Amino acid sequence: MSFIARISQRSPWLYRINAGSCNGCDVELATTACIPRYDVERLGCQYCGSPKHADIVLITGPLTLRVKDKVLRLYEEIPDPKVTVAVGICPISGGVFRNSYAVAGAIDRYLPVDVNVPGCPPRPQAIIEGIAKAIDVWRERL
Amino acid sequence: MSAPMSDLFSLLFAILVFPGGLFALCFGLVLKGLDRRLAARLQRRVGPPLLQPLFDLVKLARKRTLVPDIACKPLFLAAPMAGCVSMALAAALIPIPGVYDPDPLLGDLLVVLYLLAVPAVALMIAGSASGSSYGAIGFSREMALMLAYEGPLLMVLATVAVKTGLAQGGFVTFSLSEIVRYQQEHGAYLADPWMWPAVLAFLAFFPANLGIAPFDIPEAESEVLEGPLLEYSGPPLGLFKVMSALKAVVVLSLGVVLFFPTAPDGAAGLLVHLLKLAVLSLAGVTVLRTAIGRMRIDQAVLFYLKWPEALAIAGLAAVLALA
Repeated sequence: MSFIARISQRSPWLYRINAGSCNGCDVELATTACIPRYDVERLGCQYCGSPKHADIVLITGPLTLRVKDKVLRLYEEIPDPKVTVAVGICPISGGVFRNSYAVAGAIDRYLPVDVNVPGCPPRPQAIIEGIAKAIDVWRERL
Repeated sequence: MSAPMSDLFSLLFAILVFPGGLFALCFGLVLKGLDRRLAARLQRRVGPPLLQPLFDLVKLARKRTLVPDIACKPLFLAAPMAGCVSMALAAALIPIPGVYDPDPLLGDLLVVLYLLAVPAVALMIAGSASGSSYGAIGFSREMALMLAYEGPLLMVLATVAVKTGLAQGGFVTFSLSEIVRYQQEHGAYLADPWMWPAVLAFLAFFPANLGIAPFDIPEAESEVLEGPLLEYSGPPLGLFKVMSALKAVVVLSLGVVLFFPTAPDGAAGLLVHLLKLAVLSLAGVTVLRTAIGRMRIDQAVLFYLKWPEALAIAGLAAVLALA
């Protein structure tokens, strides 16, 4: 692997999409994964406000019908190469909301998911491990 | 024929390699790395590696560039370049005490003042050319903030120019080399209590100019999703990062040159200069941004129109009264 490729993989920027989550996983992402004890910045990660700056997408929540189109559009707006991480059980299977009339279904029917981090909500260590695995996937695509 | 050619080469070298362009960029990136590292330590985190800003730049260079359909494409892509070029030029204009003396051909304090406004204008153009409504909000906030902080800056520069000019028998001196030379002979302005209002006004000015908390209002990612930078991706976004790294070096070294340029000659002088920049950036930027949250735009504008403006006027009045 060239030197350039080696150093560019050390800067994965994270973007969060809430696809109708109950906020449990978002709290885990926003606070637990960011507080001093579980610092993800040491991996070079940085939460960014714009999807156009992102490399790794963290999706939480069952895909509800209301946000489906918006989530798909946001996903399109993220420049390649990108990696998708489904955080929590909801984007993977629908979780406790799976039979709801308002849920469009598992997220991997609509967009490619690279890493699943199940849990309700997942532990911070699991989220960080998911991000580390996503970085490995991202490395292949760079 | 050969003399003007070598002049041209030395000018280009000053703008592109040292102390502008490459050198300022490398040091600016190290400053950003130090800043992020210290901020992490203050929050009792581990923090990113020191070269993280460089990794970010390399990564951005390898990402795809997206241009929105409704954007004005030439302006959208030209804005970051204009910002970078202006800052490389400004870095070549500012002397490094004991090491580098800018060619008078390049310009003086007035040119620095104009060049310092270019990055803010580039951000405004970027925000409005992107066609995004968040970009437009960022544009209006950037403009309000700029109108608020340009006043104190102007007054501070005038204070130093008038003080040096009066001391040398004229009225004003706009040459930065003269300002450095005078202070090296007669002691730094920082040691003179009558200059402290101007120093304080300058210290208040640079967080807003560098877009750092509590004045990162135009690019607030949690409110306006990074405002003008929202639609940028890949290399153009990287150019904006380059611009802000260069700007940090330019603004900090302008502060050092105006108020505290005493340094030995040669390599030691360069080392002392860089050390001063690092201390100023860590003490004035990192601690501040870790300690306090973001202001609202109306609070920030009012703040600048009240305190730094008053301090800057007081500083100028003191210099004129004492003459």
